[in-house]
Amino acid sequence: MGCVITGVGAVSAFGVGMGPLLAALAEGMRAVGPIRHFDVTGFPTRVAGEVPVLDIDAGWLSAVGGLPGEHLDALAASGLLRDRKVGFALAAAHEAWRAAGCGDAEREASLVLALGLEQAFLEDFAPLLTPAGKLDFAADAALSAPPVRLRSRVDLAAEWVRRVLDLEGLALVNVSACAAGGLAIAQGAALIERGLASIVLAGGADSMVNPLGLGGMSRLGAPSPRAAPDACRPFDRRRDGLVIGEGAAVFVLESAARAQARGARPLARVLGWGSTQDAYRVTAPRPDGARARLAMQRALTRAGLGPEAIGYINAHGTGTPLNDPAEAQAIASVFPRGVPVSSIKGAVGHLMAAAGALELAACMLPFAEELLPGTANHLERDPACAIDVIGETPRRARIDALMSNSFGFGGQNVAVVLGRA
Amino acid sequence: MTPVAVTGWSLRTPLGVSIDEVLTRLAAGERAAAPNPRFDATTYPCTLAAVIPGQPAKTRHARFVRRMGLWGMQAATDAMRQAGAIGGDRTGVFCGYGGLRAHWEDILGPLQRQRPDAAGAWEAGLRLLHPFWMLQHLSNNAHALLATDLGARGEGVTLGGANAGAQALGAAAAALHAGTIDVALVLAYDSLVEPEMVLELGMREVESQVVPGEAAAALVLERTEDAGPRALVRLRAADGADGARGWPSTRTLVHVARGLGDAELSGPRGLPEQPGLPGLPGLPMLLDGAGVGDEPAVLAELGAGATFPSMQRQLGLLGGAAALVQAIVLGSWLRAGRARSALGLSAGAPGLCGAVHVDVS
Repeated sequence: MGCVITGVGAVSAFGVGMGPLLAALAEGMRAVGPIRHFDVTGFPTRVAGEVPVLDIDAGWLSAVGGLPGEHLDALAASGLLRDRKVGFALAAAHEAWRAAGCGDAEREASLVLALGLEQAFLEDFAPLLTPAGKLDFAADAALSAPPVRLRSRVDLAAEWVRRVLDLEGLALVNVSACAAGGLAIAQGAALIERGLASIVLAGGADSMVNPLGLGGMSRLGAPSPRAAPDACRPFDRRRDGLVIGEGAAVFVLESAARAQARGARPLARVLGWGSTQDAYRVTAPRPDGARARLAMQRALTRAGLGPEAIGYINAHGTGTPLNDPAEAQAIASVFPRGVPVSSIKGAVGHLMAAAGALELAACMLPFAEELLPGTANHLERDPACAIDVIGETPRRARIDALMSNSFGFGGQNVAVVLGRA
Repeated sequence: MTPVAVTGWSLRTPLGVSIDEVLTRLAAGERAAAPNPRFDATTYPCTLAAVIPGQPAKTRHARFVRRMGLWGMQAATDAMRQAGAIGGDRTGVFCGYGGLRAHWEDILGPLQRQRPDAAGAWEAGLRLLHPFWMLQHLSNNAHALLATDLGARGEGVTLGGANAGAQALGAAAAALHAGTIDVALVLAYDSLVEPEMVLELGMREVESQVVPGEAAAALVLERTEDAGPRALVRLRAADGADGARGWPSTRTLVHVARGLGDAELSGPRGLPEQPGLPGLPGLPMLLDGAGVGDEPAVLAELGAGATFPSMQRQLGLLGGAAALVQAIVLGSWLRAGRARSALGLSAGAPGLCGAVHVDVS
């Protein structure tokens, strides 16, 4: 039984929709810039791949996201749209749902959504701080009735996607850090392969572009210290860290038989996936990339393909000093004859839990336009990354299969192989 | 559904941190509910909570993982030791993570001078965040550290939410059956006893005997043919859902239970009755979760006349850890010769439920 993609939705720093994402990538554009929706004065890092919306509200979801209005007032009233990934997930899921031509007959769909950290809201804390410097949660009467403020549950975005689209199937929330997006697509395809579902909405949503997220990442030292639009330079000799991004991407996956029966046009096929764990260090990838290599090999095996069949790799490519050479080594060992590689993180930032999903959405460009996305800010080749990195300009090529890598905190690795429909 | 073998297990619950102790106290009908020791809850709608006694042993991982994650890691290590399992390329870790339970003490300093509009947030205190604060709040930190400690390099995943334990069991079983791994370490942990969760649950102790609880638990799973006589019990696990805005319907719970395939859903007869573990004719069944409210209807649908009414009345609500604790309690009870099979159902989130079927066949 084959698994096909029949709809895709995306929210990225290029805007809402697959159209803006693919058009910008085809032009070799980048959207990383100064953070605008909160005051970043003093933060060590002040740039991000920020979705161009200051405040997400019911009006934005309706006008830009195209969502039906019946649930939006309740969602907006709950205050939970302050967790930006909730709105991003809804907009991307709705776009995918519409693009696939889904309706009442598809309500049985399962959902596998990759989500990032629960979000806490600074503005809620001030009224709760007592003179003694403690938090008195019960002091705020509004807190005694759900939905609670202060934080959004880890699975909240998934709950609202199910509610707005009226889904009845299984619902899983993958929280495997930066590998979660790729894993969610793999899990969705696995549900179809194992006969547990015939249609699955799978993808990811995340935003750490908020005071606590940016503050925590800054203190960790992961972002590039340069608050510049070219701060993330994947595979470049001058790379010095990542840039935070935000957004979402969601796919409608279904069995080929189901898609054919309902007349849905496949956009691509999910051919295989592989997952491994580094089990090396919490804060660093294995330098030799051995476990990442195995994830890629397993994905090829499951796809029934040899390395020569892969025409493009969308790399994890964070632009950090340690990730890129480890990934390059892994790619070089699996693909000794070479393969074009690029990373879109220089253009849209690192979407964390949603990264793998958005990067798979970007992988629609080769199939739709016969263009391989470029690598924004990749200007100087690094001998430690001895692979065929596509520079800033997209490369024209017709390919039949590609691979997308995602490697998460703690050494979680996943590779997904897609094929032309 | 083909069962898998459980070859190791361990738990940490409000009624104790060893299986024997927990079973003994469950059988004695003890309730773990007590005034919430985690914070001053005297002004809250529910002042009681069921909390794991003591503190997890301090390890070097305390830099990265907080209390519940440490409990989960310790249970997982115990389970692996019991199973005699080691890591390697064919061992995977599957984690059910109930959700972030903020450690407010870690962040109060950086919050003290924050403005409601978050203006100047860095200088107002975020610059004081601990460098590892982000790592301490990552959803998969326990997973990552365990995999590193054990050298478990196989396929694995961390799932989140109040049904995450049941889902992690299902994902692990699927990976075993698919042959991508030979050993699955499944752990789950959740705590509902912190202030924001107590308020979100909206529980009032005068209306319900169920209080917020917490637990950590771990199971080591292998294919039954690989485990052979090392199997403690056999396990089938599934998760299910419907479109309900509230808790899953009786129909859904029954559907998921029946979806366990060839699991025998009509049990033995004439079980001895005990306090807390009433033995009645039929399949022993354990129903847990805030959303399992219509036990008689579920029982009638499944044709099972027997039930452990609910362990949550004694242990508190266990959220994402419920399915694993159910599997261990039921499995241990079966191994004591009480019956040959048992079923646990849990419903911890709107529209979502889990099911575990344990047998000693």
